[in-house]
Amino acid sequence: MFNTDTLNALRRLLLAMADDHLIIGHRNSEWTGLGPILEEDIAFSSIAQDKIGHALGLYSILYEQLGEADPDTLAFMRNETDFTSCQLVEYPIGEYDFSLVRHLLFDVAALIRFEDASHSAYDPLAKLARKVKGEIKYHVFHASTFVKQLGQGSEESKARMQSALNQNMALALGMFESFEGEALLVQQGIYKGEAAIRTAWLGEVGAIVEEAGLKMPDAEKLEPIYGGRKGFHTEYLQPLLDEMTEVFRIDPAAEW
Amino acid sequence: MNIQSLDPRITRLGIDAEEKNPDQTLQREEHWETYQVFHQKKRGEKHSSVGVVHAPNAEMALLFAKEQYARRGETVNLWIVNTRDVLAMNYDDYDVFSTTPEKMYRDPAGYKVNDKIAAYKKAQLDV
Amino acid sequence: MYGGGYIHDDQKKKPEMQAEDPVLLAEFEARIARGEKIEPRDWMPADYRRQLIRMIEQHAHSEIIGALPEGTWITRAPGFRRKLALMAKVQDEVGHAQLLYSAAETLGKSREDMINDLINGKSKYSNVFNYPAKTWADVAVIGFLIDAAAIVNQVANSKGSYGPYCRALERICYEESFHLKQGHSVFVYLATGTPTQRAMVQDALNRWWQPIMHFFGPSDKMSQHTETLMRWKVKMASNDDMRQQFLSMYVPKIWEIGLTLPDPNLKKNPETNQWEFTEPDWNEFYEVIKGNGPCNAERLAVRRASEERGAWVRAALKRADQHYVTPLA
Repeated sequence: MFNTDTLNALRRLLLAMADDHLIIGHRNSEWTGLGPILEEDIAFSSIAQDKIGHALGLYSILYEQLGEADPDTLAFMRNETDFTSCQLVEYPIGEYDFSLVRHLLFDVAALIRFEDASHSAYDPLAKLARKVKGEIKYHVFHASTFVKQLGQGSEESKARMQSALNQNMALALGMFESFEGEALLVQQGIYKGEAAIRTAWLGEVGAIVEEAGLKMPDAEKLEPIYGGRKGFHTEYLQPLLDEMTEVFRIDPAAEW
Repeated sequence: MNIQSLDPRITRLGIDAEEKNPDQTLQREEHWETYQVFHQKKRGEKHSSVGVVHAPNAEMALLFAKEQYARRGETVNLWIVNTRDVLAMNYDDYDVFSTTPEKMYRDPAGYKVNDKIAAYKKAQLDV
Repeated sequence: MYGGGYIHDDQKKKPEMQAEDPVLLAEFEARIARGEKIEPRDWMPADYRRQLIRMIEQHAHSEIIGALPEGTWITRAPGFRRKLALMAKVQDEVGHAQLLYSAAETLGKSREDMINDLINGKSKYSNVFNYPAKTWADVAVIGFLIDAAAIVNQVANSKGSYGPYCRALERICYEESFHLKQGHSVFVYLATGTPTQRAMVQDALNRWWQPIMHFFGPSDKMSQHTETLMRWKVKMASNDDMRQQFLSMYVPKIWEIGLTLPDPNLKKNPETNQWEFTEPDWNEFYEVIKGNGPCNAERLAVRRASEERGAWVRAALKRADQHYVTPLA
């Protein structure tokens, strides 16, 4: 149905999305048991689980439909340079403000991606997107409620939210790095395209930021931090990959 | 010296192993207010009381209730109510209900006429 | 499910049993004897309230501290299935803490006071969580055997007399059945896997056996006080009975896959139908309670740091017109 170039572009898209979700899911899972209040700990853990579940769904399409290795191999046996996750997701969890704002910026983009993908001409992606977009709706609801309230909370929380937003913005713009063959996917109705997602994202994030009483950094004046989609990563990814595979590597042939 | 834990997450947090701030205690009501949570499993079923969340306001309470009380199984809807808005009876006053089960005139089981009908039918046959 | 059978009660600090109104006390005891539950706003003896707060609070602390040893392996769990299961399991433990703190709050102690007592070392939690989870196999032993031991205790407690605690335990026990299954699954995969995997799980079992034997606490001294707690259905089974039940249910599941336990004297006496074993080192047990276990300091420092780092979030969202009311159920 699709030609080789299109299929290769599709592989790149799915791998980038899967890697993003896998890494942010791992990062967010680090909060389990360490959150600011029990109730939030529980909520944040669910969101992290969902992200890892979405990564699994995306790797499964690559495995079942596109001839790639099985999800565990894809997720846990590749080299750092083979990962095409954006750099935003790699950073350590930092303080709660950083993790929360990253969660907002990532999830608004994820919701736009998956809502669009639910009408994708590539049926396996459309099916997955229809199944999981409700979860992402909750993720955005969670993040935006928190950010709005902390943005209007104490002096400290306002300042923390603003500084986390400033800190995250150039990294977040790196989510929209274009990739080879992207235009083919857009032409064939498989995918909305990074530029269009970025435009929609700026509008939606801007509205939430405004409601939170915070100042939206000027995206046009920022240099997006690209590189992730081409396998260039920060110093933080390799140690995380080492952790993720530490048990596996004891005996890669074993069943765990 | 920061804690070097077996848990890499903890090591990364950079917690000072020596620091123990004696003033560091949670203040009163630092964990906010309480909200009662009501869960509806399916359309057509009633909402049932399932427990409590601590939250700073109703919107956040709903956000928290979703994951604490609806992370497994089916759910179609949740309600939350600030605990202070619930007026509950005292268990001590249970005696106001104590004669209710005896009021059989309100109960379908309080009306039995089959024996009358049977007797009437029998009498008719005997005539 | 993490509450140990052993509820630490410092005898030196214990107030004298208060004299209670004999009429109210008789009504209260008659209600329990009829199998009815006690609800939050009921009259209850001061000692009943005190013991329940202590028990539920220690159970809640055990859940939240118990999230730390298993959390050690969250970023390292091998593969999607194990990763998701471990995250969900540890999340449940935090959820259990939330449910249990709420149940204890209905007795009149605030969550803040309970957490303060935890991080300042005044209130105890189960000793097992003061031991390190050194390898992935520790996740198997904790998830399978510690959860199993806790289930024995909690199923007994779920038949107790205090309504809110029973309701919390009902939900907790349901979720625990998943924990036990996932723990057993990891345990069996390791035990039936490669020689390296099998050696890992045997090693973990050897290290955890003594803490597991400590779990239910030393033999109860049958005192008048214990009798009262049993009559009030606060304490539902003796420590020895629970330990015997645990051994009967789970030692065969360890032996059936050819693993061993580091106690040559462990066997069931066919005549008495009781398990015989070497007494674990009870001095170590009391040392760990005092704070001298291998991980006490780290566990509390992490808990303290988490509370401290979350303080700005909680403070920022606290409304001026907020008004805390003790939860209803």
